[in-house]
Amino acid sequence: MTAAATPNIVVPESRGATLRLDCDVVVVGSGAGGATAAATLAEAGLDVICLEEGGYHPTAEYSADIPQMIAKILRNGGATAIMGRSPVPYLEGRCVGGSTVVNGGMCWRTPERVLDTWVNEYRLEALSARRLEPHFEEVERTINARYQDPGSEGPNNDMFKRGADRLGWKLSKNRRNQIHCVGSNDCVTGCPTGAKQSTISTWLPRLYARGGAVYTHCRVEKILQEGGRVVGVAGRIVDLDGERRFVVRSRAVVLAGGAVQTPILMLRNGIQVKSGQVGRNFTIHPNVKMAALFDHPVAVRGAHQAWQCIEFEHEGILMAPGLIPLAFQSVAFNDFGPRLAQRMRDHEHIATGGILVDDHASGRVQVLPFGIPLVRYDVTDEDQRRFIQGAAYLATLYFEAGAREVYTPFHHFPRLRSPDDIRRMKAAAPRVQDTEYFTAHLMGTVRMHGDARQGALSPDGQVWDRPGLYVADAAAMPGTIGVNPQVTIMALARHIALHLGDRLKSRAAA
Amino acid sequence: MPTAFAFTGHTRRIARALVETMVPRWPDFDTDLTDPVLERLERTLDAQPKAVQTLVVAGLWGLEVSGPVFGHGLGRLSAIDRDERDRRLTRIAHHPFPTFRQGILLYQTLVNLCAYSMPEVEAHLGARRREWRKDRQALREVLVQLDEGAKAPQTPAALGSYGHLDPQAFIEFGAAERLRDAANATQTPAPASTDTALDSDGTEPSVEKPKTRKRAATPRRKGP
Ligand SMILES: Cc1cc2nc3c(=O)[nH]c(=O)nc-3n(C[C@H](O)[C@H](O)[C@H](O)COP(=O)(O)OP(=O)(O)OC[C@H]3O[C@@H](n4cnc5c(N)ncnc54)[C@H](O)[C@@H]3O)c2cc1C
Ligand code: SF4
Repeated sequence: MTAAATPNIVVPESRGATLRLDCDVVVVGSGAGGATAAATLAEAGLDVICLEEGGYHPTAEYSADIPQMIAKILRNGGATAIMGRSPVPYLEGRCVGGSTVVNGGMCWRTPERVLDTWVNEYRLEALSARRLEPHFEEVERTINARYQDPGSEGPNNDMFKRGADRLGWKLSKNRRNQIHCVGSNDCVTGCPTGAKQSTISTWLPRLYARGGAVYTHCRVEKILQEGGRVVGVAGRIVDLDGERRFVVRSRAVVLAGGAVQTPILMLRNGIQVKSGQVGRNFTIHPNVKMAALFDHPVAVRGAHQAWQCIEFEHEGILMAPGLIPLAFQSVAFNDFGPRLAQRMRDHEHIATGGILVDDHASGRVQVLPFGIPLVRYDVTDEDQRRFIQGAAYLATLYFEAGAREVYTPFHHFPRLRSPDDIRRMKAAAPRVQDTEYFTAHLMGTVRMHGDARQGALSPDGQVWDRPGLYVADAAAMPGTIGVNPQVTIMALARHIALHLGDRLKSRAAA
Repeated sequence: MPTAFAFTGHTRRIARALVETMVPRWPDFDTDLTDPVLERLERTLDAQPKAVQTLVVAGLWGLEVSGPVFGHGLGRLSAIDRDERDRRLTRIAHHPFPTFRQGILLYQTLVNLCAYSMPEVEAHLGARRREWRKDRQALREVLVQLDEGAKAPQTPAALGSYGHLDPQAFIEFGAAERLRDAANATQTPAPASTDTALDSDGTEPSVEKPKTRKRAATPRRKGP
């Protein structure tokens, strides 16, 4: 066994006899949900082990070599897509810290209207705004959910704000989990300055302080069950040179592999609740990217996103700037070779942003014969209408800010030069099949519901008919929330972990 | 750097022909990026699942023999000249049938990501991304040093640059030196926060409070 920078991050030997461990709770995954749950349980006095499939990559390892970083910290080297009417590429972190290492750091609480629905329609009284308030506060304090240092926003954010201000559209200033974000514009390949407060520098140190540990390169494949109760997990040590296996026995198992991996693991282990809800209710909060050409430099430097325009939140449409490095900017245009090269000469003048739609469609994560996973989701026509409307709003905002041209995600309408073009684009009503989407907000595949017939998890996060098995990640979310989800995931994970901690302690006392 | 995944045999010729067509070229840029991008592409694919690698290779063969299918002529992709290849790939990229377009999109995304992250391409376009990272690392180091001993304001207040750095200069190269000089000149201890625009609870008066959000107010000026 070797230790990484801290003795609590264990890189297991990859050869030898099966690694056998015992603990009170084993947590699978060290991302937003897993790290929060692990730290909370450890602070409740329990012996916690967190198993993470990926490796440990601290700040010093984040290089400027984008393909290398993608290979290191993203699942499948970033080659992941949801199948459907139009394939939707998505990204998942696969490293200690999970997707919090690669995310944009935006921090939003669950909107109150969503929490009201969860309480009233999903019978989840524990998730009321009042009861979640202390969890939100603790999460925000822990991850340093703050406004940007003044001046760090950069012109990509400023142009967006200018357009919204001129139109009188309501903006919301982002809080991001950062300490002195200096606008290096590298969020998606790991923050090279240490500013972004992923779980590596927030929840996990709290786990270590209570004696808990993260075991890296441990891919959980089996959920161990005895007499209908879950009693641990087993799997393989991966990506290192060897074929070693591990078994961890525990009083409870918390799954936090993310909204795609968690249901896959459950289904591969034959864990399907009576209601058949595991893998269903998959929402993805899809987005489309847009770009705008200005006469002056707007790109390159600054924070990923300092503002969101919430003027059309009631229509389920959120707009935001999104600064991305040159290489990602190059894929925003449907082009290649010298034509693209020519356009990229203007890269400093190209602002980038996007539209997120509060989706209604429910996709599904399935496991086909031979354990092959299938992730499906169809953008509905209703949601497509919102994307078109959202694109019209964002183009208007950019033109108002002074853009000369706006680039859309619609195949047959790639470029807009005037408000007339916006009208033509709307009239043309681009189809789902002719639109390029993306998502980073996967949710709800093992959803919590007060009614066992309609959900997979009880209100305290336990899988309905599987004692000892809990889910505390994006999969547990009862439904779509319309905003960036990490704060919601962490607050839910904390709620679940506090309940589980109480339960295990009272059982031990009894 | 040798990689585990590598295009071999004729597949390599097709891959090279595709990459040669898709890499950026400028009249004032002498380097041929084909081979370095091909190598980066192999490195990228090496981290991707076997299914994706197989799909990429199968797709290359599909493109190789696709001329007659699309009515683009009989010649194989790797056998025709670069301009002709460009015309063919562009036509497929704009094909009415989305699946064909998405095939090109996959290659185009991979090649563009590999090419536009190369230091020489970044430098040619004046992106100075690597220098910028170093500059930012230096700036953050100074900011963190200035924090030492000071109590951080409660979230969500911005930490601020403690009055030493003009916000206009924050996003400029060399901000770290300016900040250090300014801090040395004034020798003022770091206050909790000089983010004076904030309310006592740290929120900006002009924007929504970071409490759990209510439904947005009635829209003002409507969009299109
Ligand atoms: C590019 C990007 C940008 C984003 N931007 C934002 C943003 O700005 N704000 C925001 O709120 N949200 C953002 N998100 C979303 C947010 O980061 C995720 O919703 C959140 O991290 C999900 O938390 P999770 O615990 O469900 O999964 P993750 O954080 O993804 O963690 C899951 C972990 O489990 C591990 N794992 C999976 N399966 C196994 C297994 N079988 N065995 C062992 N380990 C396993 C994975 O390797 C991974 O490390 C973004 C996401 C991405 C990808
Ligand atoms: S913009 Fe740069 S400094 Fe700021 S959080 Fe992202 S990667 Fe870190």
